[in-house]
Amino acid sequence: MHIPDGFIPLWQCAIYYVIAIIFLFFAFRWSRANLNERNIPLMAILAAFIFAIMSINIPVPFGTSGHMVGAAMVAIIFMSPWAGVICIALVLLVQALFFGDGGVTTLGANIINMGIIGSFVGFYGWGFLKKFLPKWWSIGVASWIAIFTAACLAAVELWLAGTFPLGLGLLYMGGYHAMIGVLEAIITVIVIASIERVRPDLLAWNRQKLVDDSESKSTQEIVSK
Amino acid sequence: MNLNIILSALHVGGSVTDVERIAIKDSVIHSLDGRVKLITLLLVIVFAVYTTQLVVLAILELYLVTLLLLSRNSLKHSFLRVLIIIPFGGSIAILQPFVHGGTVLYTLPLGIHITYQGVMFGLLLLSRLVVTLTCIVLLSSISPMQEVAESFRRLGMPRDFSMIFSLFIRFLFLFYEELGKITHAQTSRNFDIFSKKTAYMWRLKMVAYTVMMMFLKSYERGESVYLSMASRGFSDKSQLYSLTKKEIDLNEYSFVITTLVLIVCLQIMAIYVFPQMGFIGSSIRI
Repeated sequence: MHIPDGFIPLWQCAIYYVIAIIFLFFAFRWSRANLNERNIPLMAILAAFIFAIMSINIPVPFGTSGHMVGAAMVAIIFMSPWAGVICIALVLLVQALFFGDGGVTTLGANIINMGIIGSFVGFYGWGFLKKFLPKWWSIGVASWIAIFTAACLAAVELWLAGTFPLGLGLLYMGGYHAMIGVLEAIITVIVIASIERVRPDLLAWNRQKLVDDSESKSTQEIVSK
Repeated sequence: MNLNIILSALHVGGSVTDVERIAIKDSVIHSLDGRVKLITLLLVIVFAVYTTQLVVLAILELYLVTLLLLSRNSLKHSFLRVLIIIPFGGSIAILQPFVHGGTVLYTLPLGIHITYQGVMFGLLLLSRLVVTLTCIVLLSSISPMQEVAESFRRLGMPRDFSMIFSLFIRFLFLFYEELGKITHAQTSRNFDIFSKKTAYMWRLKMVAYTVMMMFLKSYERGESVYLSMASRGFSDKSQLYSLTKKEIDLNEYSFVITTLVLIVCLQIMAIYVFPQMGFIGSSIRI
């Protein structure tokens, strides 16, 4: 799914960069307001962890390449899509600069596809789906939708660049990532379920629950006094 | 086959430690200021993406090969890295002759046409890919990750981002160390991810547990490292790396000026000279 250098004209790359920078600006604002000393290493570790997942690259005949993303997982762990945007942007930057995976000029486009779309679709998709589906199913399906949407957007960008026809791009990129998305969904669910069991304090929804519990306890104490 | 084999294939452009080992060398190019190397090579990439003439890309590639030689990097190793990365983008370039309209050169069964315009555009994409990847291989061979992180910080990257970026680079190595330990433990217990003697879902579950274990082990280690740093006064305003105030000297100026002069000359020749050289100098557009 990483679009390499030279596949998108510079003027389009500039537009994608501007969009990515606007989102990164808001992501930094979120990080300043929300990141504490525990979350900073978690975010860096998650980026390293995603780096390994994203490095499992397989060529797709009518697309660039296929791999897992992990943006939805970060967004769900932190209960914020902005966390996913920062982590994925970091990973993509290192991949582009040191490993030639994805391009430097196409970094903006790749951040939009995998970071922004992956995180937002994954997080809000989960938020919407959990009303209808059990918790773990909603996480899995949201992760699948996130990677599928990101792949389709990459195909659209290649079409807009005049590099590849839309129909074939959507068919192969979408089709391939629909399969990759299933693996992503399974791994995301197992990872989050395991964290929930072993280190529940690392999951933002549990921290929120702890705060709510302590607030309700103190309210009850005040009322009883 | 075991997880170690997957790990060796993980990094398309060489493993994290390999890339870093190559970057820590001593040469005229290695000793240049990190910011100068970063900006100059990024400029070459932008120009390579901008140009539409094959001859321009060929000359840029020659320039990058010269820099690789000056930096005392093995050409064989560098081009092997480029070759390993190419298939991921190259698959699109190779398909160009079949997906673009134009003058039909050959018709395959099922009415699939190979067009001249498609072939030329595919060649252009492939050439751009080679040049930009050589640039990346060169950059990663002459700049350790820490130096690039430091260069970004000195070039004005927001502090929050640069702090997470610096930690991320450190954790990358820590992460692989932890991963190595887990895979060694699995290998010693005869775990084989590719063995069909066990159910696919079970193997997938094992991979997910491995991933989770890597995450938890690395996180717990990372957390203790961070808390140690925090207890010693580390904050987002701290500087992670010792900043040796390096002045931009003659070597840096020569490197920048040579690259800029080359780009300007190539652009002038691209307008006035190269178009008369036939297909290699003609501007390729779709």
